[in-house]
Amino acid sequence: MTPDTSEPLLSIEDLRVHFHTDAGVVKAVDGVSWAVSPGETLGIVGESGSGKSVSALAVMGLVPVPPARYESGRILFKGGDLIAADEKERRAIRGKEISMIFQDPLTALNPVFRVGHQIAEVIQAHDRKVGRVAARAKAVELLGEVGIPNPKQRAREYPHQFSGGMRQRAMIAMALALDPLVLLADEPTTALDVTVQAQIMDLLIRLQSERGTAIVLITHDLGLVAGHADRVLVMYAGKVAELGTIDDVYYRPRHPYTLGLLNSLARMDQRRTDRLKPIIGQPPSLIRVPPGCPFHPRCPFATDICRKEMPPLEPKDGPHHLAACHHSDQVALQQSPAAS
Amino acid sequence: MAALVEVRDLVKHYPIRSGIVFRHEIGAVKAVDGISFDLEAGETFALVGESGCGKSTTARCVLRLIEPTSGSIKFDGEDITAAGTGRMRTLRREMQMIFQDPFASLNPRMTVRGILREPFTIHGLEADGKVEALLEMVGLLPEHASRYPHEFSGGQRQRVGIARAIALDPKLVVCDEPVSALDVSIRAQVLNLLEDLQARMGLTFLFIAHDLSVVRHIASRVAVMYLGTIVETAQTDDLFERPSHPYTQALISAVPVPDPDRERSRRRILVSGDVPSPIDPPSGCRFRTRCPKFANELSEAERQKCIDEPPPLIDRGEGHPSACHYAEAKSLV
Repeated sequence: MTPDTSEPLLSIEDLRVHFHTDAGVVKAVDGVSWAVSPGETLGIVGESGSGKSVSALAVMGLVPVPPARYESGRILFKGGDLIAADEKERRAIRGKEISMIFQDPLTALNPVFRVGHQIAEVIQAHDRKVGRVAARAKAVELLGEVGIPNPKQRAREYPHQFSGGMRQRAMIAMALALDPLVLLADEPTTALDVTVQAQIMDLLIRLQSERGTAIVLITHDLGLVAGHADRVLVMYAGKVAELGTIDDVYYRPRHPYTLGLLNSLARMDQRRTDRLKPIIGQPPSLIRVPPGCPFHPRCPFATDICRKEMPPLEPKDGPHHLAACHHSDQVALQQSPAAS
Repeated sequence: MAALVEVRDLVKHYPIRSGIVFRHEIGAVKAVDGISFDLEAGETFALVGESGCGKSTTARCVLRLIEPTSGSIKFDGEDITAAGTGRMRTLRREMQMIFQDPFASLNPRMTVRGILREPFTIHGLEADGKVEALLEMVGLLPEHASRYPHEFSGGQRQRVGIARAIALDPKLVVCDEPVSALDVSIRAQVLNLLEDLQARMGLTFLFIAHDLSVVRHIASRVAVMYLGTIVETAQTDDLFERPSHPYTQALISAVPVPDPDRERSRRRILVSGDVPSPIDPPSGCRFRTRCPKFANELSEAERQKCIDEPPPLIDRGEGHPSACHYAEAKSLV
């Protein structure tokens, strides 16, 4: 599917979410913008602590305030700003128009209620006119749709009676119950085995093509994004390092962090040629982000300017490929390991 | 050259008991159900499979951290399943382990110096000067010795765990998911360190992992496990280029690769459902309940054979052993 990037459905503009803690200010999201269009899948990749989940949580209004504070930015959905919206308006959108699935379905499901009941609850919460029986029937239908065998019987079971893959299917059924326009998927398959991961991704893609849902896929797995996203946002230390179509970012990376990540990966599809090429050092603490470009202490291209000035996120070879690097022209001269 | 470790018909069943006054066994979790393999000195042998396949149980049996139900394990020619406590303690100098979680495997109340001196103290050896040398070998600084584990990042903590494992100059190191808890940009550093130490010290690695990309990079030979048995084993490149068991094929085809074009053009073999319970595994071939070949390609008579006979792990003309009656190599990457 070719997504229509001219008409974004949900967009985040210059979002800054800082957590004020005893140890200092954690700049979890520091000037991040992205947008997603109907039917499109946007991948957000980054390591733990890069702030990749926080912008999605902000969309759902799930960031605890305090300790968090929205320092700047807007979250635009259907012409309104979700940050400015009150709780009642948010509640009408959350779960119905924008829904989210999480990494660990066991902690996201309530252990003392039957699975079918929990799905029916979502339906009734947003539409008082739907009766209990009708909501239950719809829950069973949804469980069947996400590939759970014997859905009628399964709906009467509790989450602990489900396997990990089944629980994630139930979560997806719940998230899709009201046919949302946007699905935020935060590490949806990280807790699952790889054959089950393939089943779940297959399911998400099938449901997306049937309903035209926009998906934001948040993950640390560059392989998963390569296979399932249309565009990808690479995050580092709370900031956007690079944004573009998957082909641009994987084959023509313009940020040294993206190039470094691709270089450091072991590849299942290639014979071993040499040792791995790691990125030196380690990701910074978000309390003490290095001055200038946050990646400069680990960057082989770094010069004086990188230590002083944060490079702006600018278009590189085309309006839709953005990178925040002073030396992105030099990065472009390097051969990407993905282009083999 | 003789094998450093020989595992034969290893079985580990965890009994399930019932009753309060008259305790009796009502079944068993068949975690490992009759597996055999050799580890050659200096090689990296990987056991791969999904959660619950028995790979970690196997590794722990090899070190006798858990007692096998039956079967034999020879280490350097000696049957260690019969060795007593004293003998095992001596032998443990030769066999060490690196754990998955660098947060849980280091004592938070001990300094790095304390953690690294402990192996020497336990075995009555001189530890002076050793700590600094070990830290240097794993890429840490001497002044790190006086710090506590919480002062380190995950990658550094894993380096401390590695330093502890190599402290007594062992022959065998079991690496149980050593990089899966680490960030992507840190994994390569730790994998390179493991390779450097192997070359420098002549270590033999038993490598447990579910990440096939890491395994392809680091292992010389691989065994794929499913529900307590080995379903296929081969030299690494042979396994990835010519997988012949339907489970190995499904596993390889399910691993995403960071290359958009290749992802778009790859053939996916999806398996249905979940892994059955190891309490009551399917008769005959254990994979048949999820096997795409069984479901789509075989005739009724052929299927009956899968239901009746457990397929032995033998070479059926595909160049390496595979436990499938209808093994057939496919190219998937």
